[in-house]
Amino acid sequence: MAFALTSQPEGLSFKEVIEKYPQVPALVVLKIDVQRRGVHYTDRALSAVDESVHCLRGAALFGYRDGKLTPRPESLLLRDGTSIIVDPTPLEQDPYVVDLIDSRLVLTDNGKVLEEVEYWPKPAYYDKKTSSGIPMRYIATARPQRLNIFQPDFCRFWANDKGCLFCDIFNNFKQQRKELGIPVKIHPHDVSETIREALKEPGFFTNICLTSGSKTGGNQPFDEEVDYYVDLLQAIGENFRRRRFPSQLIATAFSEPQLQRLYESTGLMSYTADLEVLNEDLFNWICPGKAEWIGYKGWKERLFRAASIFGRGHVSTGIVGGVELARPQGFTSEDDALRSTLDEAEDLISHSVNVVYIVWYPRPNSFFHDQSNASLDYYVRLAKGLHELRVKYDLPIDYDDYRRCGNHPDTDLSRLL
Amino acid sequence: MSEKLDSDVAGLLADPSTVKVLVTVGEDGTPHAVIKQSLHLDAEGNLVYLELLESSRTNRNMVRSIWYNRRVAILLKGKQGESYQIKGTPVKAIVSGPVFQQHYTRIRYQLGDVDLAAVWVIEPEAVIDESYAVRKAQEESLHPHWLHLDRLAKQSI
Repeated sequence: MAFALTSQPEGLSFKEVIEKYPQVPALVVLKIDVQRRGVHYTDRALSAVDESVHCLRGAALFGYRDGKLTPRPESLLLRDGTSIIVDPTPLEQDPYVVDLIDSRLVLTDNGKVLEEVEYWPKPAYYDKKTSSGIPMRYIATARPQRLNIFQPDFCRFWANDKGCLFCDIFNNFKQQRKELGIPVKIHPHDVSETIREALKEPGFFTNICLTSGSKTGGNQPFDEEVDYYVDLLQAIGENFRRRRFPSQLIATAFSEPQLQRLYESTGLMSYTADLEVLNEDLFNWICPGKAEWIGYKGWKERLFRAASIFGRGHVSTGIVGGVELARPQGFTSEDDALRSTLDEAEDLISHSVNVVYIVWYPRPNSFFHDQSNASLDYYVRLAKGLHELRVKYDLPIDYDDYRRCGNHPDTDLSRLL
Repeated sequence: MSEKLDSDVAGLLADPSTVKVLVTVGEDGTPHAVIKQSLHLDAEGNLVYLELLESSRTNRNMVRSIWYNRRVAILLKGKQGESYQIKGTPVKAIVSGPVFQQHYTRIRYQLGDVDLAAVWVIEPEAVIDESYAVRKAQEESLHPHWLHLDRLAKQSI
């Protein structure tokens, strides 16, 4: 198994970036850098894991950075309530180190203690099974305030070898099915039972997020995927008193009739279809399946339609921040990459389609496994740039913020809006 | 530097009849004062308050404080006229986990259908006795020039 590059690219240090951008909170900069470099848990840190109260990783859409499925802490919480969604990372890649010092769980770098952190809390339903015998932790995974219905699944774009080049969903799906026995397909009644159980824990969850791989089948392309989500969302909706419930679907860019059906026949409140990279040429290279079935312009047009159906502040697209610098076809300059990305983000945001990013790290089971991600300076500028566009166009991102997601440094900044 | 609150201040914080005001500062320096009756001491001697609204100005100012190390002030006014000001810094926003859930359940039991955005933890750094008698004595001791002369005049004049 191949790993990503063994060292991070040269650039400004964490301390230098904090000094350069005093308006960006140090805790957010730290989160970005931890996501960028990954973490290593010392044995002492792992000894502090209590499986009865801490969330260990269960079913996941994507694989770990070290390619192993050994149960380890799902992720971390900072003292400002921010989540750091981050994977265990091989030591040779120079990750941050999570250690237990003086009975405190801390994030360290080169032996220096930077911040106290916490493991994510575990919901009680993790120890229960559905009536069909499936562990509920394989049906819905828990973030500190969000329920994820993430079906580890086969993405049909991989059928003719056109999966996204940064993605490892297919290889991870195979590995999880083989090593953990995670179900190939989750059924609506299992989801409904799991949600019902999760709702018995007051104050634990504020949002439900669904996603899976793209499914191209059906009378019209992707009808199969829409059917799947409609069934799941209707099953989830059985548990609520009112029709609409705080929820997010991250899916393929559906046609207008499909979007209408999704909105009208379920309680879904927000919709996300990830463009992954905001440049048509790079999209065609990096996301060949999406390009083949829908195309860059078609994807954008569908997002615009979605905004008119779900409403302003309820539609977004995600990008894999830094993948626009992937070799050999990506930008060779971070300045050019940032300018191009933010220009295109402005076009989307000005049309009421929000743009959020995740920090790209080359996954060992992806095509880009031997590349490196962007500099910390780049990711901070990207977070700041997207946030400023949201301010400029007064476009809220309530359903995908620090609390309801926690994986987007740019939306962490929205806490001040 | 953390300041341990004495038993008088702790008693005021524990008394439901005490008026408790939290003062935060906005981006442009504008102060924002609100009554926060949920303010109390935790086992570690920190101040805790429950923020019910994610979008409240206080909540945003608290985020700004924890991000940029800005202080907040807490005013306590007891039913006997006691008055204290506590300066402190937000050190933690608890948004999930057992402590959060305990507060969530308790506040909903007390107030009905409310939500809980965060359990804020504030480390006290300084306590000032703001009651008039104490402050007057301090001023007279430290600044003997600062008074009107007629207050010193003989009664016969």
